[in-house]
Amino acid sequence: MSSSIPSVRSGVRRRARPDWFRAGLWVALLLALIVWSIPFLVMVFTSFKANADAAASAPWLPPSEWHVANYADAARTGRLATTAVNSLIVALVKVPIGLAVASAAAFALSRLPFRGSRVLLAVIVVGSMVPVQIALSPLFTEMLNLGLLNSLAGLVLPYLAFGIPYQIFILHGFFSAIPVELEEAARLDGASTFRIFWRICLPLAVPALGALFILDFVATWNEYAIAQTLLQSQSNWTIPLAVQGFSTQYSTNFGPLNAFIIMSVVPVLIVYLLFQRSFVSGAFAGAVKS
Amino acid sequence: MTTLSPRRGAPSSYRPDARNGMLAVPYLVPALVLYVGFVLYPLVDTVRLSFFSWSGFRTRPQDFVGVDNYVRLFTADPVFWRAMLNSVLWVALSLLVPMLLSLVLALALNRRMVGRNVFRSIFYMPAVFASITVAAVWRWIYNPTMGALNQLLDHVGLGGLAHEWLGDPSIAIYSIFAASIWQAVGFGLVLFLAGLQQVQQELVDSARVDGANAWHVFRNVTLPALRPTTAVVVVLTVINSLKVYDLVVGMTGGGPVQSTQVLALWSVTQSFQNHNVGMGSAVAVVLLVISLSLVVPYLVWSLRDNK
Repeated sequence: MSSSIPSVRSGVRRRARPDWFRAGLWVALLLALIVWSIPFLVMVFTSFKANADAAASAPWLPPSEWHVANYADAARTGRLATTAVNSLIVALVKVPIGLAVASAAAFALSRLPFRGSRVLLAVIVVGSMVPVQIALSPLFTEMLNLGLLNSLAGLVLPYLAFGIPYQIFILHGFFSAIPVELEEAARLDGASTFRIFWRICLPLAVPALGALFILDFVATWNEYAIAQTLLQSQSNWTIPLAVQGFSTQYSTNFGPLNAFIIMSVVPVLIVYLLFQRSFVSGAFAGAVKS
Repeated sequence: MTTLSPRRGAPSSYRPDARNGMLAVPYLVPALVLYVGFVLYPLVDTVRLSFFSWSGFRTRPQDFVGVDNYVRLFTADPVFWRAMLNSVLWVALSLLVPMLLSLVLALALNRRMVGRNVFRSIFYMPAVFASITVAAVWRWIYNPTMGALNQLLDHVGLGGLAHEWLGDPSIAIYSIFAASIWQAVGFGLVLFLAGLQQVQQELVDSARVDGANAWHVFRNVTLPALRPTTAVVVVLTVINSLKVYDLVVGMTGGGPVQSTQVLALWSVTQSFQNHNVGMGSAVAVVLLVISLSLVVPYLVWSLRDNK
Protein backbone atom coordinates (compact mmCIF):
# COMPACT_ATOMS: atom_id res chain seq x y z
CA MET A 1 0.00 0.00 0.00
CA SER A 2 2.65 2.48 1.02
CA SER A 3 4.62 1.66 -2.10
CA SER A 4 1.90 3.15 -4.25
CA ILE A 5 2.49 6.64 -2.89
CA PRO A 6 5.76 8.14 -3.95
CA SER A 7 7.32 9.18 -0.67
CA VAL A 8 8.19 12.79 -1.28
CA ARG A 9 9.12 13.82 2.22
CA SER A 10 10.79 11.95 5.03
CA GLY A 11 10.87 8.75 3.05
CA VAL A 12 12.68 6.77 5.72
CA ARG A 13 10.12 7.16 8.46
CA ARG A 14 7.20 6.62 6.17
CA ARG A 15 8.59 3.39 4.95
CA ALA A 16 9.53 2.03 8.36
CA ARG A 17 6.12 2.25 9.99
CA PRO A 18 4.06 0.24 7.51
CA ASP A 19 6.70 -2.47 7.63
CA TRP A 20 6.09 -3.05 11.32
CA PHE A 21 2.38 -2.95 10.72
CA ARG A 22 2.75 -5.44 7.93
CA ALA A 23 4.83 -7.79 10.06
CA GLY A 24 2.28 -7.65 12.87
CA LEU A 25 -0.52 -8.32 10.45
CA TRP A 26 1.32 -11.27 9.01
CA VAL A 27 1.88 -12.78 12.46
CA ALA A 28 -1.80 -12.29 13.32
CA LEU A 29 -2.81 -14.01 10.09
CA LEU A 30 -0.37 -16.83 10.78
CA LEU A 31 -1.91 -17.37 14.21
CA ALA A 32 -5.38 -17.45 12.69
CA LEU A 33 -4.11 -19.91 10.10
CA ILE A 34 -2.75 -22.20 12.82
CA VAL A 35 -6.10 -22.17 14.62
CA TRP A 36 -7.85 -22.92 11.31
CA SER A 37 -5.46 -25.76 10.52
CA ILE A 38 -5.78 -27.60 13.84
CA PRO A 39 -8.95 -29.51 12.83
CA PHE A 40 -7.22 -30.65 9.61
CA LEU A 41 -4.14 -31.67 11.55
CA VAL A 42 -6.13 -33.55 14.19
CA MET A 43 -8.06 -35.31 11.44
CA VAL A 44 -4.98 -36.43 9.52
CA PHE A 45 -3.00 -37.53 12.57
CA THR A 46 -5.94 -39.38 14.14
CA SER A 47 -6.62 -41.20 10.88
CA PHE A 48 -3.23 -42.93 11.20
CA LYS A 49 -3.52 -43.86 14.87
CA ALA A 50 -4.44 -47.26 16.27
CA ASN A 51 -7.29 -47.01 18.77
CA ALA A 52 -5.05 -47.36 21.82
CA ASP A 53 -2.77 -44.68 20.40
CA ALA A 54 -5.71 -42.35 19.73
CA ALA A 55 -6.82 -42.69 23.33
CA ALA A 56 -3.36 -42.26 24.80
CA SER A 57 -1.63 -39.57 22.76
CA ALA A 58 -2.51 -35.93 22.30
CA PRO A 59 -4.75 -35.48 19.22
CA TRP A 60 -2.52 -32.77 17.76
CA LEU A 61 0.60 -34.94 17.90
CA PRO A 62 1.60 -37.31 15.12
CA PRO A 63 0.95 -41.01 15.76
CA SER A 64 3.65 -42.99 17.54
CA GLU A 65 3.19 -45.60 14.85
CA TRP A 66 1.60 -44.84 11.48
CA HIS A 67 -1.33 -47.22 11.31
CA VAL A 68 -2.10 -47.15 7.59
CA ALA A 69 -4.46 -50.13 7.94
CA ASN A 70 -7.13 -47.71 9.24
CA TYR A 71 -7.82 -46.66 5.68
CA ALA A 72 -8.48 -50.18 4.42
CA ASP A 73 -10.55 -50.88 7.54
CA ALA A 74 -12.62 -47.75 7.08
CA ALA A 75 -13.19 -48.36 3.39
CA ARG A 76 -14.52 -51.84 4.18
CA THR A 77 -16.65 -50.91 7.20
CA GLY A 78 -18.10 -47.80 5.61
CA ARG A 79 -18.60 -49.52 2.23
CA LEU A 80 -16.64 -46.73 0.61
CA ALA A 81 -16.59 -48.27 -2.88
CA THR A 82 -20.38 -48.63 -3.08
CA THR A 83 -21.21 -45.23 -1.65
CA ALA A 84 -18.54 -43.41 -3.64
CA VAL A 85 -19.80 -44.98 -6.86
CA ASN A 86 -23.37 -43.98 -5.94
CA SER A 87 -22.30 -40.41 -5.26
CA LEU A 88 -20.29 -40.27 -8.45
CA ILE A 89 -23.18 -41.59 -10.54
CA VAL A 90 -25.59 -39.09 -9.00
CA ALA A 91 -23.21 -36.18 -9.52
CA LEU A 92 -22.19 -37.10 -13.05
CA VAL A 93 -25.79 -37.62 -14.16
CA LYS A 94 -27.25 -34.69 -12.29
CA VAL A 95 -24.74 -31.93 -12.98
CA PRO A 96 -24.63 -32.00 -16.81
CA ILE A 97 -28.38 -32.55 -17.20
CA GLY A 98 -29.10 -29.79 -14.71
CA LEU A 99 -26.84 -27.35 -16.54
CA ALA A 100 -28.42 -28.19 -19.91
CA VAL A 101 -31.95 -27.72 -18.56
CA ALA A 102 -31.01 -24.50 -16.75
CA SER A 103 -29.21 -23.06 -19.79
CA ALA A 104 -32.20 -23.62 -22.02
CA ALA A 105 -34.57 -22.02 -19.53
CA ALA A 106 -32.25 -19.09 -18.85
CA PHE A 107 -31.90 -18.55 -22.59
CA ALA A 108 -35.67 -18.40 -23.05
CA LEU A 109 -36.13 -16.07 -20.09
CA SER A 110 -33.41 -13.65 -21.16
CA ARG A 111 -33.43 -13.70 -24.98
CA LEU A 112 -37.09 -14.48 -25.70
CA PRO A 113 -38.87 -12.24 -23.20
CA PHE A 114 -42.62 -12.66 -23.17
CA ARG A 115 -45.42 -11.35 -21.02
CA GLY A 116 -44.74 -12.54 -17.48
CA SER A 117 -41.25 -13.87 -18.15
CA ARG A 118 -39.73 -11.71 -15.41
CA VAL A 119 -42.27 -12.84 -12.85
CA LEU A 120 -41.60 -16.43 -13.90
CA LEU A 121 -37.88 -15.89 -13.39
CA ALA A 122 -38.51 -14.51 -9.91
CA VAL A 123 -40.80 -17.41 -8.99
CA ILE A 124 -38.16 -19.90 -10.12
CA VAL A 125 -35.29 -18.16 -8.34
CA VAL A 126 -37.16 -18.08 -5.03
CA GLY A 127 -36.94 -21.86 -5.10
CA SER A 128 -33.17 -21.76 -4.70
CA MET A 129 -33.44 -19.79 -1.51
CA VAL A 130 -35.96 -21.57 0.68
CA PRO A 131 -34.71 -24.30 3.01
CA VAL A 132 -35.22 -27.67 1.36
CA GLN A 133 -36.50 -29.20 4.62
CA ILE A 134 -39.81 -27.37 4.04
CA ALA A 135 -40.57 -29.69 1.13
CA LEU A 136 -39.23 -32.98 2.49
CA SER A 137 -42.40 -34.59 3.77
CA PRO A 138 -44.47 -34.18 0.56
CA LEU A 139 -41.38 -35.11 -1.46
CA PHE A 140 -41.17 -38.39 0.44
CA THR A 141 -44.84 -39.18 -0.26
CA GLU A 142 -44.46 -38.17 -3.90
CA MET A 143 -41.49 -40.47 -4.46
CA LEU A 144 -43.31 -43.27 -2.67
CA ASN A 145 -46.28 -42.83 -5.03
CA LEU A 146 -44.03 -42.69 -8.09
CA GLY A 147 -42.27 -45.87 -6.95
CA LEU A 148 -38.96 -44.01 -6.92
CA LEU A 149 -38.33 -44.03 -3.19
CA ASN A 150 -34.97 -45.48 -2.20
CA SER A 151 -33.52 -45.26 -5.71
CA LEU A 152 -30.82 -43.10 -7.21
CA ALA A 153 -33.21 -41.99 -9.97
CA GLY A 154 -35.62 -40.78 -7.31
CA LEU A 155 -32.79 -38.79 -5.78
CA VAL A 156 -31.63 -37.19 -9.02
CA LEU A 157 -35.06 -35.71 -9.84
CA PRO A 158 -35.36 -33.47 -6.76
CA TYR A 159 -31.64 -32.70 -6.98
CA LEU A 160 -32.22 -31.39 -10.50
CA ALA A 161 -35.28 -29.43 -9.43
CA PHE A 162 -33.60 -27.80 -6.45
CA GLY A 163 -30.38 -27.15 -8.38
CA ILE A 164 -31.66 -25.41 -11.51
CA PRO A 165 -33.14 -22.23 -9.95
CA TYR A 166 -29.76 -20.87 -8.89
CA GLN A 167 -28.18 -21.82 -12.21
CA ILE A 168 -30.98 -20.13 -14.13
CA PHE A 169 -30.41 -17.02 -12.00
CA ILE A 170 -26.69 -16.90 -12.86
CA LEU A 171 -27.02 -17.84 -16.53
CA HIS A 172 -29.85 -15.36 -17.00
CA GLY A 173 -27.43 -12.63 -16.01
CA PHE A 174 -24.84 -13.90 -18.48
CA PHE A 175 -27.21 -14.30 -21.42
CA SER A 176 -28.78 -10.89 -20.80
CA ALA A 177 -25.37 -9.25 -21.10
CA ILE A 178 -24.84 -10.53 -24.65
CA PRO A 179 -25.16 -7.58 -27.05
CA VAL A 180 -28.33 -7.76 -29.12
CA GLU A 181 -26.36 -6.77 -32.26
CA LEU A 182 -24.69 -10.14 -32.21
CA GLU A 183 -28.06 -11.85 -32.25
CA GLU A 184 -29.54 -9.53 -34.88
CA ALA A 185 -26.61 -10.13 -37.20
CA ALA A 186 -27.09 -13.86 -36.84
CA ARG A 187 -30.82 -13.51 -37.52
CA LEU A 188 -30.12 -11.55 -40.71
CA ASP A 189 -27.91 -14.42 -41.79
CA GLY A 190 -30.92 -16.67 -41.31
CA ALA A 191 -29.90 -18.35 -38.06
CA SER A 192 -32.68 -20.14 -36.19
CA THR A 193 -33.45 -19.52 -32.53
CA PHE A 194 -31.83 -22.81 -31.62
CA ARG A 195 -28.72 -21.90 -33.56
CA ILE A 196 -28.50 -18.60 -31.68
CA PHE A 197 -28.79 -20.49 -28.41
CA TRP A 198 -26.32 -23.19 -29.36
CA ARG A 199 -23.72 -21.29 -31.38
CA ILE A 200 -23.81 -17.80 -29.85
CA CYS A 201 -25.17 -17.76 -26.33
CA LEU A 202 -23.81 -21.03 -24.93
CA PRO A 203 -20.21 -20.52 -26.11
CA LEU A 204 -20.18 -17.06 -24.56
CA ALA A 205 -21.37 -18.50 -21.25
CA VAL A 206 -18.66 -21.16 -21.05
CA PRO A 207 -16.83 -19.49 -18.12
CA ALA A 208 -20.07 -19.35 -16.14
CA LEU A 209 -20.96 -22.92 -17.10
CA GLY A 210 -17.52 -24.09 -15.94
CA ALA A 211 -17.87 -22.38 -12.58
CA LEU A 212 -21.41 -23.70 -12.13
CA PHE A 213 -20.27 -27.22 -13.00
CA ILE A 214 -17.66 -27.14 -10.24
CA LEU A 215 -19.96 -25.57 -7.65
CA ASP A 216 -22.77 -27.96 -8.48
CA PHE A 217 -20.52 -31.00 -8.37
CA VAL A 218 -19.40 -30.12 -4.86
CA ALA A 219 -22.93 -29.23 -3.72
CA THR A 220 -24.31 -32.51 -5.10
CA TRP A 221 -21.51 -34.57 -3.58
CA ASN A 222 -22.17 -32.96 -0.19
CA GLU A 223 -26.00 -32.99 -0.10
CA TYR A 224 -27.42 -34.67 2.98
CA ALA A 225 -31.02 -33.73 3.84
CA ILE A 226 -32.78 -34.98 0.68
CA ALA A 227 -30.63 -38.11 0.49
CA GLN A 228 -31.35 -38.92 4.13
CA THR A 229 -35.07 -38.65 3.45
CA LEU A 230 -35.27 -40.59 0.19
CA LEU A 231 -32.60 -43.29 0.47
CA GLN A 232 -33.01 -46.08 2.94
CA SER A 233 -31.03 -49.19 2.11
CA GLN A 234 -27.34 -48.88 2.71
CA SER A 235 -26.49 -50.11 -0.77
CA ASN A 236 -28.03 -46.90 -2.14
CA TRP A 237 -26.35 -44.53 0.29
CA THR A 238 -24.35 -41.58 -0.94
CA ILE A 239 -21.16 -40.39 0.73
CA PRO A 240 -22.70 -37.98 3.28
CA LEU A 241 -25.05 -40.71 4.52
CA ALA A 242 -22.09 -43.06 4.87
CA VAL A 243 -20.12 -40.45 6.84
CA GLN A 244 -23.03 -39.90 9.20
CA GLY A 245 -23.65 -43.64 9.48
CA PHE A 246 -20.01 -44.32 10.24
CA SER A 247 -19.82 -41.51 12.75
CA THR A 248 -22.87 -42.69 14.70
CA GLN A 249 -22.23 -46.45 14.52
CA TYR A 250 -18.48 -46.51 15.07
CA SER A 251 -18.09 -43.27 16.97
CA THR A 252 -15.32 -44.71 19.14
CA ASN A 253 -13.26 -46.08 16.26
CA PHE A 254 -11.48 -42.76 15.97
CA GLY A 255 -8.74 -43.88 13.61
CA PRO A 256 -10.94 -45.47 10.93
CA LEU A 257 -13.60 -42.75 11.37
CA ASN A 258 -11.12 -40.01 10.53
CA ALA A 259 -9.65 -42.10 7.72
CA PHE A 260 -13.15 -42.45 6.27
CA ILE A 261 -13.80 -38.72 6.58
CA ILE A 262 -10.57 -37.94 4.75
CA MET A 263 -11.35 -40.39 1.95
CA SER A 264 -14.85 -38.92 1.64
CA VAL A 265 -13.55 -35.41 0.96
CA VAL A 266 -10.81 -36.38 -1.50
CA PRO A 267 -12.90 -35.82 -4.65
CA VAL A 268 -14.11 -32.35 -3.62
CA LEU A 269 -10.64 -31.43 -2.42
CA ILE A 270 -9.16 -32.38 -5.78
CA VAL A 271 -11.84 -30.43 -7.59
CA TYR A 272 -11.30 -27.49 -5.26
CA LEU A 273 -7.53 -27.40 -5.63
CA LEU A 274 -7.71 -27.73 -9.41
CA PHE A 275 -10.43 -25.16 -9.97
CA GLN A 276 -10.06 -22.66 -7.12
CA ARG A 277 -10.71 -19.77 -9.45
CA SER A 278 -14.12 -21.12 -10.37
CA PHE A 279 -15.23 -21.03 -6.75
CA VAL A 280 -14.40 -17.37 -6.53
CA SER A 281 -16.01 -16.34 -9.79
CA GLY A 282 -18.97 -18.67 -9.34
CA ALA A 283 -19.80 -17.50 -5.85
CA PHE A 284 -19.31 -13.92 -6.92
CA ALA A 285 -21.27 -14.02 -10.18
CA GLY A 286 -24.39 -15.10 -8.39
CA ALA A 287 -24.03 -12.87 -5.46
CA VAL A 288 -23.18 -9.44 -6.68
CA LYS A 289 -25.48 -7.46 -8.84
CA SER A 290 -23.70 -6.34 -11.97
CA MET B 1 -31.68 4.00 -32.52
CA THR B 2 -31.09 2.10 -29.34
CA THR B 3 -27.91 2.54 -27.43
CA LEU B 4 -26.20 -0.64 -26.48
CA SER B 5 -26.44 -1.19 -22.76
CA PRO B 6 -23.37 -3.15 -21.77
CA ARG B 7 -24.89 -4.79 -18.72
CA ARG B 8 -28.24 -6.37 -18.22
CA GLY B 9 -30.55 -3.83 -19.74
CA ALA B 10 -32.76 -5.42 -22.35
CA PRO B 11 -32.70 -3.38 -25.56
CA SER B 12 -35.96 -1.83 -26.62
CA SER B 13 -36.28 -4.09 -29.64
CA TYR B 14 -36.63 -6.95 -27.17
CA ARG B 15 -39.87 -6.01 -25.56
CA PRO B 16 -42.13 -8.80 -24.44
CA ASP B 17 -43.54 -10.35 -27.54
CA ALA B 18 -46.40 -12.78 -28.03
CA ARG B 19 -44.40 -14.66 -30.63
CA ASN B 20 -41.55 -15.11 -28.16
CA GLY B 21 -43.91 -16.93 -25.84
CA MET B 22 -44.37 -19.71 -28.38
CA LEU B 23 -40.68 -19.83 -29.21
CA ALA B 24 -39.73 -20.03 -25.54
CA VAL B 25 -41.92 -23.01 -24.72
CA PRO B 26 -39.57 -25.84 -25.73
CA TYR B 27 -36.68 -24.23 -23.85
CA LEU B 28 -38.71 -23.78 -20.70
CA VAL B 29 -40.62 -27.03 -20.50
CA PRO B 30 -37.92 -29.30 -18.99
CA ALA B 31 -37.03 -26.79 -16.28
CA LEU B 32 -40.68 -26.05 -15.51
CA VAL B 33 -41.67 -29.71 -15.29
CA LEU B 34 -38.88 -30.38 -12.81
CA TYR B 35 -39.48 -27.19 -10.86
CA VAL B 36 -43.22 -27.52 -10.60
CA GLY B 37 -43.10 -31.25 -9.94
CA PHE B 38 -40.40 -31.39 -7.31
CA VAL B 39 -40.14 -27.91 -5.76
CA LEU B 40 -43.40 -26.01 -6.16
CA TYR B 41 -45.78 -28.93 -5.68
CA PRO B 42 -44.10 -30.15 -2.45
CA LEU B 43 -43.99 -26.60 -1.08
CA VAL B 44 -47.68 -26.07 -1.75
CA ASP B 45 -48.51 -29.49 -0.36
CA THR B 46 -46.66 -28.62 2.83
CA VAL B 47 -48.93 -25.60 3.22
CA ARG B 48 -51.98 -27.83 2.67
CA LEU B 49 -50.78 -30.48 5.12
CA SER B 50 -50.26 -27.87 7.81
CA PHE B 51 -54.07 -27.71 8.07
CA PHE B 52 -54.42 -31.47 8.48
CA SER B 53 -53.73 -34.04 11.12
CA TRP B 54 -51.84 -36.97 9.63
CA SER B 55 -49.39 -39.61 10.79
CA GLY B 56 -47.63 -39.76 7.44
CA PHE B 57 -48.59 -43.36 6.68
CA ARG B 58 -50.25 -43.71 3.31
CA THR B 59 -52.97 -45.95 4.61
CA ARG B 60 -53.96 -43.57 7.39
CA PRO B 61 -56.51 -40.79 6.77
CA GLN B 62 -55.67 -37.09 6.59
CA ASP B 63 -58.11 -35.21 8.81
CA PHE B 64 -58.77 -31.53 8.22
CA VAL B 65 -58.26 -29.61 11.46
CA GLY B 66 -58.21 -25.98 10.30
CA VAL B 67 -55.69 -23.84 12.11
CA ASP B 68 -55.42 -26.20 15.09
CA ASN B 69 -51.81 -27.07 14.28
CA TYR B 70 -50.83 -23.41 14.32
CA VAL B 71 -52.68 -22.77 17.57
CA ARG B 72 -50.88 -25.70 19.17
CA LEU B 73 -47.58 -24.59 17.67
CA PHE B 74 -47.74 -21.09 19.08
CA THR B 75 -49.35 -21.90 22.42
CA ALA B 76 -48.41 -25.43 23.40
CA ASP B 77 -45.12 -26.38 21.76
CA PRO B 78 -42.15 -25.23 23.86
CA VAL B 79 -39.73 -27.01 21.52
CA PHE B 80 -40.95 -24.84 18.63
CA TRP B 81 -40.09 -21.70 20.58
CA ARG B 82 -36.72 -23.17 21.53
CA ALA B 83 -36.09 -23.86 17.83
CA MET B 84 -37.27 -20.39 16.85
CA LEU B 85 -35.01 -18.80 19.45
CA ASN B 86 -32.02 -20.85 18.28
CA SER B 87 -32.68 -19.98 14.64
CA VAL B 88 -32.85 -16.28 15.49
CA LEU B 89 -29.73 -16.62 17.63
CA TRP B 90 -27.96 -18.37 14.77
CA VAL B 91 -28.85 -15.59 12.33
CA ALA B 92 -27.69 -12.89 14.76
CA LEU B 93 -24.43 -14.64 15.64
CA SER B 94 -23.69 -15.40 11.98
CA LEU B 95 -24.05 -11.74 11.09
CA LEU B 96 -21.77 -10.82 13.95
CA VAL B 97 -18.91 -13.31 14.14
CA PRO B 98 -18.10 -15.03 10.83
CA MET B 99 -19.09 -12.02 8.76
CA LEU B 100 -16.86 -9.57 10.63
CA LEU B 101 -14.08 -12.14 10.77
CA SER B 102 -14.25 -12.69 7.03
CA LEU B 103 -14.23 -8.92 6.40
CA VAL B 104 -11.14 -8.48 8.58
CA LEU B 105 -9.39 -11.41 6.89
CA ALA B 106 -10.29 -10.08 3.45
CA LEU B 107 -8.91 -6.64 4.29
CA ALA B 108 -5.70 -8.23 5.56
CA LEU B 109 -5.33 -10.59 2.61
CA ASN B 110 -6.10 -7.89 0.08
CA ARG B 111 -2.50 -6.68 0.22
CA ARG B 112 0.43 -8.33 -1.41
CA MET B 113 2.23 -10.57 1.05
CA VAL B 114 4.18 -13.79 1.37
CA GLY B 115 1.93 -16.84 1.31
CA ARG B 116 -1.25 -14.96 0.46
CA ASN B 117 -2.61 -17.78 -1.66
CA VAL B 118 -1.85 -20.37 1.00
CA PHE B 119 -3.71 -18.29 3.57
CA ARG B 120 -6.69 -17.91 1.29
CA SER B 121 -6.80 -21.58 0.32
CA ILE B 122 -6.69 -22.86 3.89
CA PHE B 123 -9.33 -20.43 5.16
CA TYR B 124 -11.64 -21.37 2.31
CA MET B 125 -11.03 -25.13 2.38
CA PRO B 126 -13.58 -26.02 5.10
CA ALA B 127 -16.26 -24.43 2.94
CA VAL B 128 -16.02 -27.21 0.36
CA PHE B 129 -16.51 -29.91 3.03
CA ALA B 130 -19.97 -31.36 3.49
CA SER B 131 -21.57 -29.96 6.64
CA ILE B 132 -22.25 -33.47 7.81
CA THR B 133 -18.50 -34.15 7.52
CA VAL B 134 -17.63 -30.99 9.41
CA ALA B 135 -20.01 -32.19 12.10
CA ALA B 136 -18.21 -35.55 12.33
CA VAL B 137 -14.80 -33.83 12.56
CA TRP B 138 -15.93 -31.51 15.33
CA ARG B 139 -17.64 -34.24 17.28
CA TRP B 140 -14.24 -35.84 17.61
CA ILE B 141 -12.65 -32.51 18.57
CA TYR B 142 -15.33 -32.02 21.23
CA ASN B 143 -15.09 -35.59 22.57
CA PRO B 144 -15.21 -35.07 26.36
CA THR B 145 -12.35 -37.39 27.30
CA MET B 146 -10.09 -37.76 24.28
CA GLY B 147 -11.07 -34.85 22.07
CA ALA B 148 -8.54 -32.23 21.05
CA LEU B 149 -10.26 -29.31 22.75
CA ASN B 150 -10.43 -30.66 26.29
CA GLN B 151 -6.97 -32.21 25.97
CA LEU B 152 -5.58 -28.89 24.79
CA LEU B 153 -7.19 -27.03 27.68
CA ASP B 154 -5.79 -29.61 30.09
CA HIS B 155 -2.37 -29.32 28.49
CA VAL B 156 -2.09 -25.57 28.95
CA GLY B 157 -3.34 -25.73 32.54
CA LEU B 158 -6.89 -24.63 31.84
CA GLY B 159 -8.37 -28.03 32.59
CA GLY B 160 -11.01 -26.31 34.67
CA LEU B 161 -12.53 -24.95 31.48
CA ALA B 162 -12.99 -28.41 30.00
CA HIS B 163 -16.60 -29.18 29.22
CA GLU B 164 -19.00 -31.64 27.78
CA TRP B 165 -19.17 -29.30 24.82
CA LEU B 166 -22.05 -31.07 23.11
CA GLY B 167 -23.58 -32.67 26.21
CA ASP B 168 -24.27 -29.55 28.22
CA PRO B 169 -27.64 -28.05 27.20
CA SER B 170 -26.56 -24.53 28.10
CA ILE B 171 -23.59 -24.42 25.71
CA ALA B 172 -24.20 -27.11 23.06
CA ILE B 173 -25.68 -24.68 20.53
CA TYR B 174 -22.61 -22.43 20.84
CA SER B 175 -20.30 -25.39 20.36
CA ILE B 176 -22.09 -26.22 17.10
CA PHE B 177 -21.90 -22.57 16.11
CA ALA B 178 -18.13 -22.56 16.62
CA ALA B 179 -17.84 -25.36 14.08
CA SER B 180 -19.97 -23.35 11.68
CA ILE B 181 -17.61 -20.37 12.02
CA TRP B 182 -14.74 -22.63 10.97
CA GLN B 183 -16.75 -23.70 7.95
CA ALA B 184 -18.36 -20.39 6.96
CA VAL B 185 -15.58 -17.82 7.14
CA GLY B 186 -14.07 -18.77 3.79
CA PHE B 187 -17.30 -18.02 1.96
CA GLY B 188 -17.53 -14.43 3.21
CA LEU B 189 -13.79 -14.03 2.75
CA VAL B 190 -13.99 -14.86 -0.94
CA LEU B 191 -16.93 -12.52 -1.51
CA PHE B 192 -15.30 -9.63 0.35
CA LEU B 193 -12.01 -10.18 -1.48
CA ALA B 194 -13.86 -9.98 -4.78
CA GLY B 195 -15.68 -6.86 -3.58
CA LEU B 196 -12.39 -5.23 -2.62
CA GLN B 197 -11.24 -5.54 -6.22
CA GLN B 198 -13.83 -2.90 -7.01
CA VAL B 199 -12.36 -0.33 -4.64
CA GLN B 200 -10.69 2.21 -6.87
CA GLN B 201 -7.02 2.47 -6.03
CA GLU B 202 -6.90 6.09 -7.29
CA LEU B 203 -9.44 7.08 -4.65
CA VAL B 204 -7.38 5.43 -1.94
CA ASP B 205 -4.20 7.10 -3.21
CA SER B 206 -5.69 10.57 -3.48
CA ALA B 207 -7.23 10.28 -0.01
CA ARG B 208 -3.79 9.39 1.33
CA VAL B 209 -2.14 12.26 -0.46
CA ASP B 210 -4.74 14.51 1.18
CA GLY B 211 -3.50 13.22 4.51
CA ALA B 212 -6.18 10.68 5.41
CA ASN B 213 -5.03 7.98 7.81
CA ALA B 214 -5.76 4.30 7.37
CA TRP B 215 -8.98 4.45 9.38
CA HIS B 216 -10.32 7.38 7.38
CA VAL B 217 -9.53 5.68 4.11
CA PHE B 218 -11.32 2.56 5.30
CA ARG B 219 -14.30 4.49 6.63
CA ASN B 220 -14.77 6.85 3.69
CA VAL B 221 -13.47 4.97 0.67
CA THR B 222 -13.29 1.22 1.23
CA LEU B 223 -16.45 0.72 3.23
CA PRO B 224 -18.79 2.63 0.86
CA ALA B 225 -17.32 0.71 -2.09
CA LEU B 226 -18.01 -2.55 -0.26
CA ARG B 227 -21.66 -1.73 0.34
CA PRO B 228 -23.16 -3.88 -2.48
CA THR B 229 -20.94 -6.81 -1.49
CA THR B 230 -21.90 -6.41 2.14
CA ALA B 231 -25.59 -6.39 1.28
CA VAL B 232 -25.15 -9.65 -0.60
CA VAL B 233 -23.13 -11.27 2.18
CA VAL B 234 -25.77 -10.24 4.73
CA VAL B 235 -28.62 -11.70 2.69
CA LEU B 236 -26.80 -14.95 1.94
CA THR B 237 -25.68 -15.27 5.56
CA VAL B 238 -29.25 -14.90 6.81
CA ILE B 239 -30.59 -17.39 4.25
CA ASN B 240 -27.85 -19.90 5.04
CA SER B 241 -28.49 -19.51 8.75
CA LEU B 242 -32.15 -20.43 8.29
CA LYS B 243 -31.03 -23.51 6.35
CA VAL B 244 -28.84 -24.85 9.17
CA TYR B 245 -29.64 -28.52 9.54
CA ASP B 246 -26.78 -30.89 8.70
CA LEU B 247 -24.45 -29.53 11.37
CA VAL B 248 -27.06 -29.94 14.11
CA VAL B 249 -28.10 -33.40 12.90
CA GLY B 250 -24.49 -34.50 12.77
CA MET B 251 -23.41 -33.14 16.12
CA THR B 252 -26.36 -33.40 18.51
CA GLY B 253 -29.49 -34.35 16.58
CA GLY B 254 -31.23 -31.47 18.34
CA GLY B 255 -30.38 -32.60 21.86
CA PRO B 256 -29.52 -32.66 24.66
CA VAL B 257 -33.12 -32.07 25.83
CA GLN B 258 -33.95 -30.25 22.54
CA SER B 259 -31.53 -27.47 23.48
CA THR B 260 -30.05 -27.33 19.96
CA GLN B 261 -33.28 -27.58 17.98
CA VAL B 262 -33.61 -25.29 14.97
CA LEU B 263 -36.71 -24.73 12.82
CA ALA B 264 -35.64 -26.85 9.84
CA LEU B 265 -34.76 -29.81 12.06
CA TRP B 266 -37.84 -29.56 14.28
CA SER B 267 -40.05 -29.63 11.19
CA VAL B 268 -38.40 -32.81 9.91
CA THR B 269 -38.36 -34.41 13.39
CA GLN B 270 -42.08 -33.79 13.87
CA SER B 271 -42.98 -35.12 10.42
CA PHE B 272 -40.74 -38.16 10.22
CA GLN B 273 -39.83 -39.24 13.74
CA ASN B 274 -42.90 -38.17 15.69
CA HIS B 275 -45.24 -39.03 12.79
CA ASN B 276 -47.00 -35.73 13.21
CA VAL B 277 -46.94 -34.40 9.66
CA GLY B 278 -49.46 -31.65 10.40
CA MET B 279 -47.34 -30.11 13.13
CA GLY B 280 -44.15 -30.62 11.15
CA SER B 281 -45.73 -28.87 8.17
CA ALA B 282 -46.87 -25.99 10.35
CA VAL B 283 -43.27 -25.47 11.49
CA ALA B 284 -42.20 -25.67 7.84
CA VAL B 285 -44.73 -23.02 6.85
CA VAL B 286 -43.45 -20.68 9.56
CA LEU B 287 -39.93 -21.21 8.18
CA LEU B 288 -41.22 -20.66 4.65
CA VAL B 289 -42.87 -17.36 5.59
CA ILE B 290 -39.71 -16.13 7.34
CA SER B 291 -37.55 -17.15 4.35
CA LEU B 292 -39.84 -15.52 1.79
CA SER B 293 -40.06 -12.29 3.75
CA LEU B 294 -36.27 -12.05 3.47
CA VAL B 295 -35.76 -13.45 -0.01
CA VAL B 296 -38.43 -11.57 -1.92
CA PRO B 297 -37.13 -8.04 -1.19
CA TYR B 298 -33.63 -9.22 -2.12
CA LEU B 299 -34.86 -10.62 -5.43
CA VAL B 300 -36.83 -7.50 -6.24
CA TRP B 301 -33.67 -5.48 -5.61
CA SER B 302 -31.51 -7.88 -7.55
CA LEU B 303 -33.71 -8.15 -10.65
CA ARG B 304 -34.98 -4.59 -10.64
CA ASP B 305 -32.52 -3.02 -13.09
CA ASN B 306 -33.66 -5.46 -15.75
CA LYS B 307 -36.62 -3.37 -16.87
